[in-house]
Amino acid sequence: MKLSRLLRWPILLIVLAVLLASTSGCVCGGPPRATSWTDLTLQDDKIYAADLQQIQILGTDGELIQSVPENSDDNTAGLIYVAPAVGEGYLIVAGQNPPQGFLSQATYPVVKLDIETGKELWSFGPKNDKGQYVGGAQGQYIEGGVISDGTFVIGNSDGNVYALDVDTGDLKWQFKTDHRVWATPLIADGIVYIGSMDHHLYALRLSDGEELWKFAAPGDGAFASTPALQDGILYIGTFANRVYAIDADNGTEIWRFPAEKPGDSWFWGSPAVDGDAVYAVDVKGTVYKLDAGTGEEFWHSKLAPKKSNDKDAPVRGGPALTEDGSTLLISSENGTLYALDVDDGSEMWAEEGEGKGYVTPVVDGDIVYQALIQGSYRIRALEITDDGDELWVYPLPEESETGE
Amino acid sequence: MFDFIAYPLANLILLLYAYLGQNTVVAIAALTLIINMAMLPLTLSQQKSSRKMQELQPEMEKLKKKYGKDQERLSQETMKLYKEKGINPAGGCLPLLIQMPIWFGLLGAIRYCIPSTPLEMFQFSRNIYHWLPGIIGLVPLQSTFLGMDLGQPPNAIQWWSYALPLLVGLTSWLQQKLLSPSTPSAPSSSDSPPSQTEMMTKQMQIMMPLMFMMFTLNYATGLSIYFIISSLIRIAQYYLIKDGGKEDSATQKRAAAKQK
Repeated sequence: MKLSRLLRWPILLIVLAVLLASTSGCVCGGPPRATSWTDLTLQDDKIYAADLQQIQILGTDGELIQSVPENSDDNTAGLIYVAPAVGEGYLIVAGQNPPQGFLSQATYPVVKLDIETGKELWSFGPKNDKGQYVGGAQGQYIEGGVISDGTFVIGNSDGNVYALDVDTGDLKWQFKTDHRVWATPLIADGIVYIGSMDHHLYALRLSDGEELWKFAAPGDGAFASTPALQDGILYIGTFANRVYAIDADNGTEIWRFPAEKPGDSWFWGSPAVDGDAVYAVDVKGTVYKLDAGTGEEFWHSKLAPKKSNDKDAPVRGGPALTEDGSTLLISSENGTLYALDVDDGSEMWAEEGEGKGYVTPVVDGDIVYQALIQGSYRIRALEITDDGDELWVYPLPEESETGE
Repeated sequence: MFDFIAYPLANLILLLYAYLGQNTVVAIAALTLIINMAMLPLTLSQQKSSRKMQELQPEMEKLKKKYGKDQERLSQETMKLYKEKGINPAGGCLPLLIQMPIWFGLLGAIRYCIPSTPLEMFQFSRNIYHWLPGIIGLVPLQSTFLGMDLGQPPNAIQWWSYALPLLVGLTSWLQQKLLSPSTPSAPSSSDSPPSQTEMMTKQMQIMMPLMFMMFTLNYATGLSIYFIISSLIRIAQYYLIKDGGKEDSATQKRAAAKQK
């Protein structure tokens, strides 16, 4: 009896505890588990980096110019992962407030902040008497929004695309899709192009959200990236292991790659397009150069892992092109930044980083910025033309508090 | 932690989803059923062990009365009794321990198929078996069920989603009540306070459903669906194999009578 008691109940309780811990991701005493990646925006020689509690504004020399808001306790947006949209003297950020207690709800506000003072100018969703956000979006914002013609457009995990008035924060329109919207929209000539996990790419009129057309990939598959646009053609990858070229006017397919059997992994990051070439990278780290007109393959190249214990070099973001179109830059999950020659896909250099890279690197002349999470720094700058020499990192390791 | 189980199971969910009408709830139900069927021998062994222990209660009470003050002797006599009756005291726990990693893996698989965070989805994206027929492009699975998002926790906007944790609690309680070893109301024990085992059994019957209910309040409703289906299958299993169990027990009793 004693033995059976000893064996049965403590084991059940331990099992239950393990169940709760393993399914909740609880790491007692440690920082909260990251659920997404932090992103950055480069505008007017300044880097605006999402840093969970604040937006850090850095110079291109890596010096911190300003934190918005100045004191993280004044942050009203919650945890900020997505890249901020930058306007004249203001930022629009989308955040998430985790549940504050039992039965409380997570909230997902979009907030316009005055860059100078860090003060909130408006918020969406609205607040109740206690200053808590109510209403608004019901899901996480995974990628940032875009400002165009006085409208801020952003997709949400609740399946909606929201268009807000930049001046007032009022909802101009919302467009419901049948699944999560995890992509940043592309806005061109008054049209919003945005992909949804419901396997469609939508073209919506910016002024009123009217659906102009929608494109469904024949082999199905979710759209989770921003299309690249060149000469009236949209280029976008899908979770059905293909890249598509689509007529931006009417949503008809021009070509697909591979033309016959789909590839063996997703295209999550946005393709890069330059003249007659489209560059795309799949999540297993295979980079493709395709003919922009026909979709035929020029070459493909598999990224080689650099750390001894890495089996491959997975890539979530897309490739970035240098301004002269000679070099492709790709950030892999294991933190390495790769530079490839666009002529043949050969590796020019690869620089290991500390942390994990999930977003497309940002190119600024001869410098490339890489955002990282879960390492000792969150951003680093490398010299493109000088074998990827590291110019600076932010924050300096001793300044880092969370390592997030 | 249990990804080596979660990835194959998640791919199996994709396969079931592809061939069962692309319905997420049906796919989860089918997988839960398959796993329960696969583990039926273990479940039976666990229930058999529970039943044997249950039948032993009157003799245990006698031993307790006789050696209650001498804990060491009581343990020795208890073990002797187990040996005589051919009972492995860990028999009720071992099947449970073997099943646990599979259940954890199944929970992980559901999270991978209806991911609520991009990091989960990215992790799974490289572990999809693209060679399986018909599964390309399925992730993330369609996550709307009765107007609820299976990838999100219950919330006030979809107020009816709170019904799911309640159903989790209810079905889990029913399952606990049916499957926990109940102590017989032996005349000798009616005057004495309930034993520690009885108290713990009763506590677990309440605590486990409550914990599962609280857990599902804060996690994706897809997990609630899994818990409910799982409990219902186990309840159904209990009723299906109950008669067989009774026959077993009657046969044993007849055999014991013959020996006497």
